[in-house]
Amino acid sequence: MKELVEYIAKSLVDDPSQVRVNEIQGATSVILELHVAPEDMGRVIGKQGRVANAMRTLLRVIAAKQGKRVTLEIV
Amino acid sequence: MTEVRSIEATGPDIETAIANGLAELRLPREAVAVDILDEGSRGILGIGARRARVRIVVREPDEEDEDYAEFGSPAGGAAPTAAPPKARAFEAAVEEADEDADLADEAVIATAEFGGEDDAKAGAAALEELLEKMQVRAKVHVHRAEPSNDGEATPWVLEIRGRDLGILIGRRGETLASLQYITRLIASRDLQHRVNFIVDVEGYKARRATQLRKLAVRMAEQAIRRGRTVALEPMPPYERRIIHMTLRDNDSVRTESVGEGDRRKVTIIPEKPSHDR
Repeated sequence: MKELVEYIAKSLVDDPSQVRVNEIQGATSVILELHVAPEDMGRVIGKQGRVANAMRTLLRVIAAKQGKRVTLEIV
Repeated sequence: MTEVRSIEATGPDIETAIANGLAELRLPREAVAVDILDEGSRGILGIGARRARVRIVVREPDEEDEDYAEFGSPAGGAAPTAAPPKARAFEAAVEEADEDADLADEAVIATAEFGGEDDAKAGAAALEELLEKMQVRAKVHVHRAEPSNDGEATPWVLEIRGRDLGILIGRRGETLASLQYITRLIASRDLQHRVNFIVDVEGYKARRATQLRKLAVRMAEQAIRRGRTVALEPMPPYERRIIHMTLRDNDSVRTESVGEGDRRKVTIIPEKPSHDR
């Protein structure tokens, strides 16, 4: 899941070197924390959170296979 | 081929029912018209209890049809039947829609440009990468949608093929919509210009568009017959647009979307020419 978020974020931001993703695994859930440069926040969130929500939707494909819930936080 | 043939077919869902019927007739999708007799349950890719029933009618070559902008199956090879010039339903089907404006002005749709092969290739590269990282084993085939004969641009389609890909479609096509959105974003970033192509899974969108156009016509007839407004079930923006576009030239009804967000749906309102409302 981390790789997916990393790939998408790095593809969309101006400063890929500042993209970092922490993956926190729980028994039934996964939390992903995405860090990007402050100027790039808008790119990974999108208008009305559209980009972030699309990433969440795609993450659920992986999560569903693992029987987990996934949360994506942009911090 | 002027005889009219029709058969009934069933399946766990409408798409499969249609596929079954086509297999029986050995015809490509664009050679037939489909009437939905029973929609079965509306589950995605066959998750549902009631079987869907459809009637498949072999289309006469010159039959005028609302499916003019048919997006033929890649295996198509059917006689390229003439499509009326204003065939925009497919573009309408795939045009990215803003939630507020599902009945986008025609100008926007008419000028919606589909990018070239380079755009599609950049998109395919991004899509393959995405699928790999989503741990989905599938292949991406790049092809052009069935051309219309009016010289209009036909979209490039990045079609994902593989087994058990229902997971990529999601409820009401939500996952597929996200996949297309992200793929376009990445490719646009790579190429430094806005790209436009379709991402589809095993012809899902094409089948769905056909199905929705049939539904629109049927529901319009019902609205006229009953003299009452008919509400369809909630749909995402590009699906609502298919309904609007299909009924645009039908003078006996008008269409309006009502409701917010996920609950937004199309209503078909019969026009009452003679008596007061």
